[in-house]
Amino acid sequence: MRDLESDVELTPAERDVIDVELAVTGDSQAFERLYRRHVARIHGLARWLMSRDDVEDVLQDIFIRVWEKLHTFKGEAAFATWLHRLATNVILRRRSERGTRGERFGGSELDLSRAVADRVTPGLKVDLEAAVDRLPEKAREVFVLHDMAGYKHEEIGSLLGVSSGTSRSQLHHARMALRQYLEA
Amino acid sequence: MSDQWTDRLSAYLDDELSATERAAFERHLVECEECHTTLNQLGSVRTWAEGYEGLPTSEAVWVGVREGIKGGSADAKVVSIQDARPRWRRLRIAVPLALAATMALVVVGVGSWWVGRATAPRREIVVSTMPARLLTTSSQAQSLLAAERYGAAIAQLEQVLLTNGGQLDTATVRILNRNLAVIDRAIRQAREALATDPGSAYLADHFTHMMQRKLTLLRRVASAGVAAS
Repeated sequence: MRDLESDVELTPAERDVIDVELAVTGDSQAFERLYRRHVARIHGLARWLMSRDDVEDVLQDIFIRVWEKLHTFKGEAAFATWLHRLATNVILRRRSERGTRGERFGGSELDLSRAVADRVTPGLKVDLEAAVDRLPEKAREVFVLHDMAGYKHEEIGSLLGVSSGTSRSQLHHARMALRQYLEA
Repeated sequence: MSDQWTDRLSAYLDDELSATERAAFERHLVECEECHTTLNQLGSVRTWAEGYEGLPTSEAVWVGVREGIKGGSADAKVVSIQDARPRWRRLRIAVPLALAATMALVVVGVGSWWVGRATAPRREIVVSTMPARLLTTSSQAQSLLAAERYGAAIAQLEQVLLTNGGQLDTATVRILNRNLAVIDRAIRQAREALATDPGSAYLADHFTHMMQRKLTLLRRVASAGVAAS
């Protein structure tokens, strides 16, 4: 049967729809497929929004919450979008409960300059990841929420307690800082 | 490049400028190579972020999740494929399945050749959704979902083929019909088997895969038909 599966042309979004419906009925194998399809990206999101020590713990919380809330997914948006929203809510709530905001890195302009200077690993992806790590905290959060998780500035403002104008400004600041890595 | 324009680069990229601002900015872009270059760089950063694949995750996380969701749905029962079927029934299903796979590969090859020639945009078929929340077992849900989901898409594709099928040569149509008949027979057998054993994960998988196979085959041939028309 494996050779038949290999030729099936379902998109990842179509696979998500099928697996969500199966998982809602209690199919843990379908849920595991959803988990494996999405955990890496959610991991990336969590890594930049909270203390590294808490990331694996919060990942478990997120996916257990997904399992519990899956019946509320109506399919109006892509599953990935719904998942990102849920994950962001869990992450921000956890952060708020623990008061662990901005404990990862110093988050100053100097840090960003250091990130540029410390570039040691070849490859754009690694360079940009290192640079995102060292962005000033607010700029990093806005960048991750807007460009990675797909939030709008008004939503980001509400989530982070800043104005939408500040969100726009921070996003531009982050992108301008990160573009330096493209010049190497 | 002045601050006046630099500050608008991200807003332009995100399509947040008014029509007037946008027009003015685009006039400036024509003249300012630096802004043009910076805009491209910001676009690359955004593209990287949107496509960011994330990080490898320790297997321990899944183990924790699996433990956490145990007992979360008491009514549901996932049946092991290995345990689900007596060996004789697996064989009965395997014969038409293998035959269908072989025949489908022939047609898929022909379809791929057509797709390769295609210049027209591919017609996308939207797969419908159906709630399966009232079903008792995941196998029942899977097979009914497959029937609903793929059935609608298959019907649409068959309509496309009826409309554009004249573009295919008769030999191809003959092969297509023969292979569809094989796949349809396998689907019918799986459906009948499921009627007597609705909790079987093996049969549900088989049924779903045959529906997927038919959908894939029809998509390719329909694309070829659309492209040729």
